[in-house]
Amino acid sequence: MKQLRTALVLLIVGGVLTTVDLFWAFWWSTVTTFGTATFPNAVNTARPFLGQTAQGFMYGRAWFSQKIFYFHVPVAEASFLVFGVAAFFAIRFLMTRRKEYDTKSRIAMEVTLLFVILTMITGDLWTKASWGVWWQWEPRLTTYFIMTLLVIAYFVLRNSVEDEERRAVYAAVFCIIAFIDAPISFMITRLIPSDHPVVFTQSGLDTNQLIPFIIGQIGMLMIGYAIYTMRMSEERLHERLDVAKESLES
Amino acid sequence: MAKISAMRQFKAILKKDIVMELRTKEMLTSMGLYTLLTLVVYYVALSQAGNGFDVRLIAGGLLWLAFLFTSMLGLNRSLVHEKDQGCLEALLLSPLDRPVIFFGKAVGNLIFLLIVEVITIPIFMFMFLSGRPIAGPIWGIAVALLVGAVGISGIGTLLATMSVNTTGKDFILAVLFIPIMFPLLYAAVAATSAIIIGNPGYMSLFWTAMAIGAAYDVIMLVAAYGLYEFIIGA
Repeated sequence: MKQLRTALVLLIVGGVLTTVDLFWAFWWSTVTTFGTATFPNAVNTARPFLGQTAQGFMYGRAWFSQKIFYFHVPVAEASFLVFGVAAFFAIRFLMTRRKEYDTKSRIAMEVTLLFVILTMITGDLWTKASWGVWWQWEPRLTTYFIMTLLVIAYFVLRNSVEDEERRAVYAAVFCIIAFIDAPISFMITRLIPSDHPVVFTQSGLDTNQLIPFIIGQIGMLMIGYAIYTMRMSEERLHERLDVAKESLES
Repeated sequence: MAKISAMRQFKAILKKDIVMELRTKEMLTSMGLYTLLTLVVYYVALSQAGNGFDVRLIAGGLLWLAFLFTSMLGLNRSLVHEKDQGCLEALLLSPLDRPVIFFGKAVGNLIFLLIVEVITIPIFMFMFLSGRPIAGPIWGIAVALLVGAVGISGIGTLLATMSVNTTGKDFILAVLFIPIMFPLLYAAVAATSAIIIGNPGYMSLFWTAMAIGAAYDVIMLVAAYGLYEFIIGA
């Protein structure tokens, strides 16, 4: 119960922090456009007004596409991290064969699924605002999409194995193999030419951009941890209920 | 009893698969026919493209698409046999090292896939690329085929062993296999297309793609080798 209370507090604090981050970003942060790629099929409505040098803000809405950064990047980085946690617990499960690690790995994958979907949605909004297209088969987007499919496949696999122990082993093995894509997706913008912006090593951030970003990142990690802990305590209650039911029956 | 060497165990498993294939000829006929049918579908898909369309631009992709789907069919078959006839349990009961079972099955699948590829390539060229010569050296395509097939049969054997024990079987295999295979598929298509199209500097693109593909093969084979024991024991 104490854990649940901590989780609730963390969830609220995390929510407040991510909100503060967005407000900060909208009111005080300077606007720079990360990623100045223009695509041949992009609709650059800014160009007629601002001349040929204006790039990267389509529909004259640079400020909006740039603000998504404060949500999109924290949630994306959190998704890689939680995926790593899931893979770690999967390895632990294969080493020890203890059921709790399987549950932990599964719950971490659930949080990953949530974060991955949020990343895809915010990413698409940014892509539309900044590149003028909803989707571009571009290295980062493609590998991240593959990662989304892998996370979904994990749950499809889980649902189609009947034997409980076998399900746990298969899920753990698949989680480890699937995680190989995460570092590929994370590193790919740094390895091969990509239109996806790499903010921290290429563009750089002002202080009044960096502070809200860090607040948002901390908030997002808190939310992730809170959801994970709440789901875990729910699972524990389930198990206790099952044990109680069995002892009543016998 | 003296311990049987790993090489002999490996040979025994491989021989079992090949003998069974020679008797039933089931895998090769089904995979080969499936590829031919895919080629017919390709003709339909390209039939309205007109004469000006240079099919070489997408020939590499078409080839690998055919191989990807054929290999899924073959992988599924090869493991369904083992399971339905209780062969997998017998293999587990016999004093075999678990990694040897993996390599035996994987090499068996690799051989069948390579045979299908070697038969398909000339037919594909005959049907789609006649009058449009391949720019690069033909051994380049052979290298790409080998690198692709090694990865497909390695990680595919692991995933197929998982999927035959699920309720969804071939559907689950597709859901697991295609996203896992993506980087290798991309590299293989890039290398094959580079050879077929032959833009300036295509050899450097070819070798880069092959290096990525080979690195992916190594990572996946190591992972599959390490994890197969858990899968087959579960």
